[in-house]
Amino acid sequence: MVPTRLRPRVLLFGSGLIWAIGFTRLAAADPASATTPLQFNRDIRPILSENCFHCHGPDKNRREADLRLDHQDAAIEALAWVPGQPEKSDAIRRIFSDDADERMPPLDSHRSLTAVQKDTLKRWVAQGAAYEPHWAYVPPVRPALTAADAPAQGPGTGKNPVDAFIDAALVREQLPPAPEADRRTLIRRLALDLTGLPPKPKDVEVFVTSSDPRAYERMVDQYLASPHYGERMAIPWLDLVRFADTIGFHNDVAIKVWPYRDYVINAFNQNLPFDQFTREQLAGDLLPGSTPNQRVASGYNRIHRISGEGGIQDKEYFAKYAADRVRTTATVWMGSTLACAECHDHKFDPFTIKDFYSFAAIFSDLKEKGAYNLSGGFTRENLTEETLFESPEQKLRFEALEAEVAGLSKQLEESTDEPLTSGRATWETSTLAAHRAGTLAWKVQTPLSVSSPAGTPFTIEPEDHSIVPGGPNPANDTYLVTVPASLDHVTAVRVEVIQDARFPGDEVSRAGSAFYISEIEVDGAVSPDQRPVPLRLATSQASSSTEPGHPATAAVDGDESTAVSFARRRGAGIAVHLAEPWRGDPDSRLTIRIRHSASMPYQNLGRFRIALHTLPAPDPNADGVPAHVLAALVVTPTERNAAQTKDLTAYYRAIAPELASVRQRLAAAREARDTLISRLPSMPVSRSIEPRPMRVLPRGNWMDDSGEKVEAAAPGFLRPIKPSDGQRVSRLDFAEWLVAPDNPLTARTFVNRLWRLYFGEGLTRTLEDLGSQGDWPTHPELLDWLAVEFRESGWDVKRLVKLIVTSQTYRRSSQGSPVLEERDPLNRFLARQSRFRLEAELVRDNVLAISGLLSSRIGGPSAKPYQPLSYYAPLNFPRREYAPDTGEGLHRRGVYTHWQRTLLHPSLMAFDAPSRDECTTNRSTSNTPLQALVLLNDPTYVESARVLAERIVRGGGWSFPSRLSWAYQRALSRPPAPDEIRALRRLFDQQRARYQADPAAARELLRTGAAPFPDDLPIADLAAWTSVSRALLNLHETVTRS
Amino acid sequence: MHPLEVHAQQLTRRAFLGRSTAGLGSLALGSLLNPGLFGAGAAAGAWPGLITQLHHAAKIKRVIYLYQAGGPSHLETFDYKPKLVAMHGQGMPESFTQGQQIAQLQGKELKCYAPQFGFQRFGKSGQEICSLFPEIGSVADDICIIRSMYTEQIIHDPAHTFMNTGSIIAGRPSMGSWLLYGLGTETEELPGFIVLMSSGKGGQMQPIAARQWHSGFLPSRFQGVKFQSVGDPVQYMQSPAGVTQADQEQIIDVVNQLNRRQHDAIGDPEVLTRINQYEMAFRMQTSVPGLMDLANEPRRVLESYGAKPGDGSFASNCLLARRLAERGVRFIQLYHRDWDHHDDVAHVKYKAEEVDRPTAALIRDLKERGLWDETLIVWGGEFGRTPMAQGKGRDHHIKGFSIMLAGGAVRGGMSYGATDELGYAAVDKPTSVHDLHATMLHLFGVDHTKLTYRYQGRQFRLTDVSGEVLKPILA
Repeated sequence: MVPTRLRPRVLLFGSGLIWAIGFTRLAAADPASATTPLQFNRDIRPILSENCFHCHGPDKNRREADLRLDHQDAAIEALAWVPGQPEKSDAIRRIFSDDADERMPPLDSHRSLTAVQKDTLKRWVAQGAAYEPHWAYVPPVRPALTAADAPAQGPGTGKNPVDAFIDAALVREQLPPAPEADRRTLIRRLALDLTGLPPKPKDVEVFVTSSDPRAYERMVDQYLASPHYGERMAIPWLDLVRFADTIGFHNDVAIKVWPYRDYVINAFNQNLPFDQFTREQLAGDLLPGSTPNQRVASGYNRIHRISGEGGIQDKEYFAKYAADRVRTTATVWMGSTLACAECHDHKFDPFTIKDFYSFAAIFSDLKEKGAYNLSGGFTRENLTEETLFESPEQKLRFEALEAEVAGLSKQLEESTDEPLTSGRATWETSTLAAHRAGTLAWKVQTPLSVSSPAGTPFTIEPEDHSIVPGGPNPANDTYLVTVPASLDHVTAVRVEVIQDARFPGDEVSRAGSAFYISEIEVDGAVSPDQRPVPLRLATSQASSSTEPGHPATAAVDGDESTAVSFARRRGAGIAVHLAEPWRGDPDSRLTIRIRHSASMPYQNLGRFRIALHTLPAPDPNADGVPAHVLAALVVTPTERNAAQTKDLTAYYRAIAPELASVRQRLAAAREARDTLISRLPSMPVSRSIEPRPMRVLPRGNWMDDSGEKVEAAAPGFLRPIKPSDGQRVSRLDFAEWLVAPDNPLTARTFVNRLWRLYFGEGLTRTLEDLGSQGDWPTHPELLDWLAVEFRESGWDVKRLVKLIVTSQTYRRSSQGSPVLEERDPLNRFLARQSRFRLEAELVRDNVLAISGLLSSRIGGPSAKPYQPLSYYAPLNFPRREYAPDTGEGLHRRGVYTHWQRTLLHPSLMAFDAPSRDECTTNRSTSNTPLQALVLLNDPTYVESARVLAERIVRGGGWSFPSRLSWAYQRALSRPPAPDEIRALRRLFDQQRARYQADPAAARELLRTGAAPFPDDLPIADLAAWTSVSRALLNLHETVTRS
Repeated sequence: MHPLEVHAQQLTRRAFLGRSTAGLGSLALGSLLNPGLFGAGAAAGAWPGLITQLHHAAKIKRVIYLYQAGGPSHLETFDYKPKLVAMHGQGMPESFTQGQQIAQLQGKELKCYAPQFGFQRFGKSGQEICSLFPEIGSVADDICIIRSMYTEQIIHDPAHTFMNTGSIIAGRPSMGSWLLYGLGTETEELPGFIVLMSSGKGGQMQPIAARQWHSGFLPSRFQGVKFQSVGDPVQYMQSPAGVTQADQEQIIDVVNQLNRRQHDAIGDPEVLTRINQYEMAFRMQTSVPGLMDLANEPRRVLESYGAKPGDGSFASNCLLARRLAERGVRFIQLYHRDWDHHDDVAHVKYKAEEVDRPTAALIRDLKERGLWDETLIVWGGEFGRTPMAQGKGRDHHIKGFSIMLAGGAVRGGMSYGATDELGYAAVDKPTSVHDLHATMLHLFGVDHTKLTYRYQGRQFRLTDVSGEVLKPILA
């Protein structure tokens, strides 16, 4: 867009004022002024790109009349333009044509040219129709700083080169710059911009009263050295790379990825040069002698959304992930909309569809899955997780356990010694005998009685003796089943789960997918009139695999918060082994209590029945052995086929008493290894394998294999990437290409986005698009100067930040003047600073910091602050109830909040934090009633207010004004004005009177959140101060940086 | 300049003027200045909508979208296929399935599976509707059934995204967000785009991501707001423990007073907007709980829907939808989950128990209350189900399925389009998701090709690069 200023026309209508919507342009470099030499990039390209390139541009499939206007030679050859002779130029003639059929752009394109635009094109042809390559595709050259550009720049002026460019434009535009902001505003702005936290009151006082000429610079250095700087810088980066804690599709389960987030924070804190930051993320695994940290960085390639939804296919999802990487990577580093070339050539920029897939092929060496379903779940192997050992000892321990597991597994598989053979023969004989005697299979029992403390009615099905719960489904229930135990020597009880169409979904639970059993308990009584005694239980086993985290043993661990669970398992059962056999009498009976008290409400067991066994440690399968084993067993040994022999061998090994100790040691070693791993940080990292072949997908259709094969490559119109091995372009080659001195995009893209952090907008406002359709920069020379400076400084980010924030431009007041508001209402020329609301995470951090609750810990697993109950109800597979952290985890910075892609924490979402499904370059800044509700009522904010109240009362002096002033210093870095004191005093008095009359209400308010309740202070005062604090924390000024 | 910037600029000017007109009080001034420019919503910051001059006369003011999530089987709802009965158990002819995408039936034998329930002709129009839905049948002459829908995504999550945003790439605005962006809202008391969700008695509760009502690249003020039908209707709606409404009001008054003071000092229109948002938040806190409480509805009305106050059912949500419609909410979307009948498509009968009566009751209620002509009801899911068996159930299917539209602006008693004789592919008047979106916008007086937003260097729209208005179904 051409830089314009807008002048409103104020019209007077009767007695009322109405602002007209029309605005006229003022001359910036006004193309309407006939004397101005026109520049193609600034003046012409935006007109052509918006109105003509769609049909006469780079996309050959859409090109009309075989005419392209994005190429000078082609356009001139076609006589669209005749340089110097607009009257002979076809395109000019058609643009000015009165004939609707002839006129360009055509009616049905919904595009039209204004009179000014037409005239501009005509004059440009008259001036010679000179093209320029698109500015962003030409490597930036440092513009010379002339004395004229920099009237007052240099040592002692308080100005730096940034000001030279800004001031030159202000002089040209005749915009009077605002004065420097007052020191309180300045230090608050700086602290919020660099660390995302308000300045400490004592720092404010020192800075405000300091006479040191370098006082400001010292503050800059102090904040750049703060570990909170990295946390603040990480936020926009994590938006770009769409970092989140969950997979983002369908069931949206969590995976451990936080080490990548910490890598980003540390990289900014350590001021890792941006070129190295780039290499490590795109190809940390390929760096010679790569460190674990660099491989964590390479997790960049693995944190896109992934899916394990039923019915999806590898091929389709490989295509989805590949396209996601192209969209994200091209946006993050190149500010390019290469994404638009997935289905066809780009309409405006010279990207072809082949470029899109060649770019995707750069990443085709990554080891990954497409569909993380069926056998391809979110396992350590499939996610290529790297465990991050915190000490060499841990690593040694892990390796030792791995070796032990391997050794024992081998032993279990290969041991063929004699005792095993004879043991097996004995087992076969006795098992077969038991089968023939009818004691091998479990004995189903007809229940004598069934009841539930919740009053659930039960039906007993006569044909199979199964039990079916009915009536209303309570959140939790306990089934009490009494069965006869007349069998001699009962060793085990089996709960058999039976599918029944009366139950929804998987038909095994009263409420959908899976059921949960917290505990199974067994009591025995030798006669009906005897009081049942609890029986000791040894262990429990399930006949099919259970849900992750819900093992069979949970049913007998005495812990009601754990539960065994499975979903659809036809004929599956849970066998509970008694510690000692039950020697029953003819009259004796067992009462089985099946309890569901875990945190999965309504997921009560559906239809089931009870069976007993009399052999020691019976197998949990209904037949006493798995069906295929039984089938093999009944065949005479000499007639068994190979598969049958194998089945039997494998099964016997799994139960052979001779191998019990090996099995136990193996289980113990596995458990020790898995526990060790699960407690350590890990990260899905990049791992390079044989590249998958990559084709152009015509129209983006993954089922169409007709497209040409492509090799990894840069977009064709840019300098090619040289493969370092002479063969294939690797991710590392690509990274080197991005940070090479002649790359036109990388430095500009980064610098432009950095600028936004300190002024609210980029120098090019389209942060996501430096291409043909992107906005023309307001200060193109400054953008290039900064890009070159950044690159030549060794990609030194802190240096660049310091350069910007020490400029006079940055330090200006955000307060406009009537002149500025009229002539540059959107503050394009930065005659003043901008004002904007804090980002979502910082709204939270700010309030926690003001209250003193904020945890200052850097990094670590993601945190779970308070969140409304049932907020995760739309999630499923499994259903989830959110469990907030305890202690410090409740008060961590927003950057650490658990990021659930499909249901982001509602407070973050209300303040415009993105879901991070996709790369986000620029969050919107909304102002909504939901934000008011968060600040008013979210427990985090209420707790902060009451903790702040406590601190006010303890540390803020004795008088109301002194206490309020203390709070204002913390929240707003300034003292309150007299009318503010009056307003809040009135609130305080009202509220104190109200809480004196109702101390119970005061106590309720003061118990919000987990912070300790201060019982040594007068509660009405404290509650009234809480109300004052709530008002303070809700102020627009508190959540605004100005 | 971008329309949103024009708007921001107008606010700046207004705020600037407000400051220089001392003594008037900013809020009062806002409404004085307002009328011509800002429509009915007098509030500072209210977005009047991109389209100040409708492209043609609007027929409707709002949509109630009864979103049947999980993929309702068209073969057990609106699309009767006697041929499928005849072919039951036989192999599905390859001529239908060759080269087509398949979800969970990949690599399985494909066999025809007969409709599990009978169909009846209802009403004067004689529309064929599954006999599980007699109540919907009783309003057959008021509804328009589109039997030739098709979509592009065969798995729930991306299919929902496509149905709501017209794109399979996340981060695009949902249809409700486009409407708010294009037309603004009719109410200052409530969000203009409200989502309610209910779950069926079955277990196939497919997850629904907040992405489905997100504003994507549009400013987040256009995002849908999910109301809970049980508990706090809106997140953080309830004042803290120990804080009465009077306390809350005192605090908000002081916040607004101090904010106004700041506005007078610096003249930033964002401050005025903030004040307005606190006022609206307080109004929501006081009015929404009552709005969401159905206890004061007459028994007759409750019974007609089959709603029980506080039960969070689809029936209750339908009644709530009518209450939201009465209050000027632009886009009301009700998700009812549990239509994913892989294992046993006979379970459609449970869904019928949950949705048949409330759907018909809503239609009658809107007619009785004079809301019928200006409301469009959409009833449908993200895709249909295979004519082929998956056990006793049906797999996901994208080549043909049905949706239902109702409201004074569409022709009642009409069936539009058809699938082939086995219910596999839409063959007569195939209707895309973009066509549906285009038609919806058309009824609002909006040309779908002109409601655009510039992002990533191009003009995006809800209908991407296609979409035809379904002219024959318009009343």
